Amino acid sequence: MDPTISVSKGVFVFKNGATRAGKKAKTHKRKRPDSSAVNSLLGEEVVRQPFYEEYSQAWSQVSGHIDDLQQRTYARTLEQLVAFVVAQGERTGADKDEVLPTAALLTGINQPDHLSQFEAFTQRLHAKRAARVCVLQSRDCATVKTAVETMVFGLVEDNLAVGADVEESEEEDVVERDSKRLRRSQCTLKQLRSWYANNKGAEGSSCQLVVILPDFECFSASVLQDFILILSAHCGSLPFVLVLGVATAMSAVHGTLPYHVSSKIRLQVFQTQAAPVGLNEMLDRVLLSPKYAFHLSGKAFKFLTHIFLYYDFSIHGFIQGFKFCLMEHFFAGNSFALCTDYSRALGRIKHLSHDDMESIRRLPSFRPYVEQINDCKRIIAVLTDDDYLKKKLPQLLRDCMLHFLLFRSALEFLTELVGDLPRHPLGKLHRELYVNCMNKPIAATPEYKECWQMLGFLSKDEFVGKVTRCLDRTEQFLAEEISPLELGGACVDGMRPQLQAIRQALDDVAKGTTVSPETAGTMRPNAPNLAQVTSRHELQAQLLQRSKEDKDRAQPPATALQKTLQLIETHLVRGHLRALQDAPPIHELFVFSDIATVRRNIIGAPRAALHTALNNPHFYMQCRCCELQDQSQLVSTLPDLSVVYKLHLECGRMINLFDWLQAFRSVVIGGEQDGGVENAAQEQIDPQIQARFTRAVAELQFLGYIKMSKRKTDHATRLTW
Amino acid sequence: METLCAALDPMFPCREAAITTLGELIGDAREAYPSAIYLFGHSGTGKTALTRALLKECSKRQGVRTAHLNAIECYTTKIMLENVLDSLTSPQKGDSVKADNMVEFVEQLRRAEAPGFLIAVDNAERLRDMDANVLPVLLRLQQLTSLNLCVILLSQLPFEKFYNKTGLSEVICLHLPQYNKAETQRILGSDFDQVRGHLLEQFATDPGRLEICETAMTEDFYNNYLNLFLSVFYKACRDLPELQLTARKCFAVYLEPVLDGAVEASDISRLWRHIAGPLRAALTQIYMRIEKPLEECAESSASLEDQSVRKLAQSLELPYYAKFLLIAAFLASHNAANQDKRLFVKHHGKQRKRMQTVNARAKTTEKMSTTLGPKSFSIDRLLAIFYAILEEKVGLTCNLLSQISTLVHLKLLSFVSGEQNIMDGSARLQCTVGLEFVLQIGKVVGFNVRQYLCDFM
Repeated sequence: MDPTISVSKGVFVFKNGATRAGKKAKTHKRKRPDSSAVNSLLGEEVVRQPFYEEYSQAWSQVSGHIDDLQQRTYARTLEQLVAFVVAQGERTGADKDEVLPTAALLTGINQPDHLSQFEAFTQRLHAKRAARVCVLQSRDCATVKTAVETMVFGLVEDNLAVGADVEESEEEDVVERDSKRLRRSQCTLKQLRSWYANNKGAEGSSCQLVVILPDFECFSASVLQDFILILSAHCGSLPFVLVLGVATAMSAVHGTLPYHVSSKIRLQVFQTQAAPVGLNEMLDRVLLSPKYAFHLSGKAFKFLTHIFLYYDFSIHGFIQGFKFCLMEHFFAGNSFALCTDYSRALGRIKHLSHDDMESIRRLPSFRPYVEQINDCKRIIAVLTDDDYLKKKLPQLLRDCMLHFLLFRSALEFLTELVGDLPRHPLGKLHRELYVNCMNKPIAATPEYKECWQMLGFLSKDEFVGKVTRCLDRTEQFLAEEISPLELGGACVDGMRPQLQAIRQALDDVAKGTTVSPETAGTMRPNAPNLAQVTSRHELQAQLLQRSKEDKDRAQPPATALQKTLQLIETHLVRGHLRALQDAPPIHELFVFSDIATVRRNIIGAPRAALHTALNNPHFYMQCRCCELQDQSQLVSTLPDLSVVYKLHLECGRMINLFDWLQAFRSVVIGGEQDGGVENAAQEQIDPQIQARFTRAVAELQFLGYIKMSKRKTDHATRLTW
Repeated sequence: METLCAALDPMFPCREAAITTLGELIGDAREAYPSAIYLFGHSGTGKTALTRALLKECSKRQGVRTAHLNAIECYTTKIMLENVLDSLTSPQKGDSVKADNMVEFVEQLRRAEAPGFLIAVDNAERLRDMDANVLPVLLRLQQLTSLNLCVILLSQLPFEKFYNKTGLSEVICLHLPQYNKAETQRILGSDFDQVRGHLLEQFATDPGRLEICETAMTEDFYNNYLNLFLSVFYKACRDLPELQLTARKCFAVYLEPVLDGAVEASDISRLWRHIAGPLRAALTQIYMRIEKPLEECAESSASLEDQSVRKLAQSLELPYYAKFLLIAAFLASHNAANQDKRLFVKHHGKQRKRMQTVNARAKTTEKMSTTLGPKSFSIDRLLAIFYAILEEKVGLTCNLLSQISTLVHLKLLSFVSGEQNIMDGSARLQCTVGLEFVLQIGKVVGFNVRQYLCDFM
């Protein structure tokens, strides 16, 4: 063939709008099936299962609740921001000349979470039809050119999206025409200005152009400076408003922008809620809400909060982790479909199969239940007869659910009681106390004893005030959160008499004070001094001393006080705040505690996984040839890469390639023929072995374990330790 | 020309000389323009405002076509050329003015008809970084197009900074010097009527205050205030718009005691005592343009420098391990690598002391590594120190490693080299925060940073 022909051959794309139309049709088509079948990823057989139904219901409830809560927490800041943006439109022409109105939103670290905030902000602005919004990511803004183009494109397109949503049929033609006209390289400010002039009349005069930079810190300083200068230069003709998402602090803004730039903007600072505060709120309102039947065990709960507080501050990550726990819990089987409202669970019992019943029987907490039955026949019936167990189940479920409600109410009481003690031995937040109470019998822990001791040292007035507050709060909690629930009435009935008893005991304490007024007189002036004592030991010593001094006089109220504490302990702490191991039978249906699975699945440990794979390939391959008795054992049947890796672990920083090769050969050959290794060293190395070795070393280098040294010939450097 | 100058003079006090010169050069479109004028001076001396007004007057009175553009905006030559063409050629030709290169540009410009053309380019120093032909062409555009055309370049740099190897044709340079104190005061005082009118309008509903305001607000009173104001600010800032803005902001505070009737309008020394604090506070906030009530600014800026660092460190919310990573990064940046064993390993053996090493170690402040600035370190070393200073045992997980990149994003750490090849371990980082900041973070997590710094041993 003539070689020059290929030059004239080519494929040319003719853009004639056909592709766009096709794409549009496709998106329309895709939308419709989406709405009918919610989850196409899982097969029908999974989706139909009762446990899946319960799971999806529980998840949609929780996520709806969380969304609602987040919307409300964002709302205040967002309202301010929106008001700020709208106010810019009403400014008079005189003072907006060349000065760019800017809002700095201090978001706190963890930037992925913030995108959702900015999305909510965009939606609000769209809802008010007050502005065109463009979210400008730092990855789009490597140079001023791309930044401006992305911004203009975003602003113009944003308008289209809104228009298409609201009045689809009317604006469709306009949309088509506009988008056809728009190419990326045409997106200049000139274009934007003419576009704005054209559309301004239609959109109303107070339409702002909002540019959002969600990750201020990631922008390169020079691009940002030029970008701001350009925007401010156009401020007179185009109503720009800049919104910066600042993750650290205002000093970052002032550090990035020099005087001649910062004097071109008018900065207003907005503060959002700190992430830990948001998390605490979410935990208190949603995850610890008595509404839901699903509970996390203390350890799982602590594990998730630990990731949040120690690693990433990501609320989104936390929610996903929680969702994973939820999935894992329900996926264990259909018997877990009972983890729902009481009445729904009763309905579910009928449909349980034999296997489901067996899985219930295998629950660890079922055994104590069986053991406490005295009657031999009934034991056999429980263990073998499904129908008998089904009859028994409602009572068990009810006990279990009631236990959690009571647990939650008692937790409310305890939080108020010990939350503000000095140094918070048990923790001051719901979540800390929840974890403590779930994990072990709390009454036996030294922290608990310390708390009780401190409570015992309180003056009468303080003590009475405190316990009254606790009672009030618990009552309020019962009235607001518990009583609307299905089993709420039973829970309230169970709780009330105990609270009443405590109140009675408290009255006795109060009376004790009135009976011996001179005691109160001497106690009272001392009380303020105690508050000023700094260390706990000092406080303890002083209190001890004082209590010794007027032991005889303080006797009656002190005993009354002790009696009240005793009452609280027996009724609430030992009665309701039982650790998980003492919880009623079949609580496993409601509590997720398989923390090992979660840890393995949501925390990636790439280095550990690689080490395991290379050090002990059997772990992943499950082949018979590579079984090792000992981790450090070297077998010739191991993959080459694994042999090379294990040999390299024995070396220092620098590895001599020739020695390595010799070792490799001896391992590989050693398996085949034991004798004659010494003579083999002198012999020429088999090219096949050398090739295998070279390839394994190259793979090791590719994995990032070694690097060829430049300083020393024929040596490799280890990169890991 | 005279009418032109007469129109501009009242708008720009203290710039009579410059206006006259400009008027002589380009005041009359019937005379030949010079090919280029270079107008330079510091920021806030009125270059842009003056040029803009001049162009407006010229186009209004003489039908001269004008173009005013900002070089920063012209990130490609094409945008600049099209912008110029847009303003200079007749607008009714439709919306698509296209000029891909200089030849087309000159070609199209030749076709334009008008008594004169003026092109002003702001931030002209950026022209140097654009295509090599832009600046030479602009300077001899008159010659190329054979039109009565003048290019006015505005910049903060003297023209010497523009010379390059190929040479440039000569231009007429015009320097706008900074205003001296008296001139500044005169210019600031020129908006007295406007301020007064504004105030009277503001108090229109409050007759008591309105009366006081009317009697107290005299030209003298305002000038006295400006005098006090400039005595604080003139040393720090000569940017006129900035001064104007701050002066207006502070004037409300200055007037407050007079309106309350606490201080007589004539009692300047007491007024001074009253205003000195807020003025000093405003001085620290200058150029920052944060919209907050002045009192709040005073509050925050009254605190000393180290207090603000402390506040920053406490207000910056970082996850627990990220804090330790930051501390580890700081330690890695400010300790020599050969000291690591001594600092972080429990049984590091005994050190032999020799006179020579003792002398070498005798640290003077210049040698302190905390004052010398951060050194770079590898990620391996960072993690090793992290594990050494952290008491509990944590796994090396993705979450932990991603914290490093989070810190880089927040600009608390930065890559020194090898950003592209993190995988082979040759990437080097350094810590960008200061000692004070890290000490505060250490205090939050209960870790004594000083104990692990070579400088303080």
